[in-house]
Amino acid sequence: MARMKFICDAERCIECNGCVTACKNEHEVPWGVNRRRLVTVNDGIPGERSISVACMHCADAPCMAVCPVDCFYKTEEGVVLHDKDLCIGCGYCFYACPFGAPQFPQAGAFGLRGKMDKCTFCAGGPEENNSSAEFQKYGRNRLAEGKLPACAEMCSTKALLAGDGEVISTIYKQRVQRRGKGEEVWGWAMAYGRGEAKSAGVKS
Amino acid sequence: MNKYATVVIAGTFVAGLAACGEIDQQAKVEKVYAGKKDEHAYDGAKFGGDKKKWETAMAERSKTQNEYLRTDRK
Repeated sequence: MARMKFICDAERCIECNGCVTACKNEHEVPWGVNRRRLVTVNDGIPGERSISVACMHCADAPCMAVCPVDCFYKTEEGVVLHDKDLCIGCGYCFYACPFGAPQFPQAGAFGLRGKMDKCTFCAGGPEENNSSAEFQKYGRNRLAEGKLPACAEMCSTKALLAGDGEVISTIYKQRVQRRGKGEEVWGWAMAYGRGEAKSAGVKS
Repeated sequence: MNKYATVVIAGTFVAGLAACGEIDQQAKVEKVYAGKKDEHAYDGAKFGGDKKKWETAMAERSKTQNEYLRTDRK
């Protein structure tokens, strides 16, 4: 099996927050903690784009690299998880993460941080699969039930895809091909502008 | 003299090739997970430790996200 991955299709996301709500509800995430959130670029301006962001389960995860108590591990499927019994809530992982994925519940007065909480790709944590201890600490383990993450399954426009990296990249590739835009949507032109625009003296 | 020059030029080329090597950029610090051991996703009542069955189920479920297949518009 390939690695488990998320892809968010910015052409499809309608900023409905269905993924955020699904995640909150599925795992009974406490107030103030958002494992998933929406980021909108050029909000309110025609042509705005939104993407759904959570832990991206990095191949070389910076949170794992900086953790002073080594509470992070990676499953066979490439899902980055952590042991809350070991976490000291130091917040290093939050500063290291480029996506702002690690979240900290308030554990007391004066902003006292609790143990880190983040997206688990609905894979639970280091407790017995589908046990009450696992649910209380990490939320529901949908992968053990043969299901995909709730956020992706709830997505009404199927902008957010989750699962086997090979399968979802094939789905995304098929979409891009059907749109007939190719690199205009994703790739060189998106990042660096179109060559013909530059050659015609137009700023891209 | 010619032979000497050939040796020097060949040596320069060989030494120059050393610049083509790639230095390992991975951090040398080994991070070892210190927490509790986790069960595999396929360990449990639903799949009974059958990894292949779980992988097949997950791949099939992933494909349901492709509405082109669901609507039979391939």
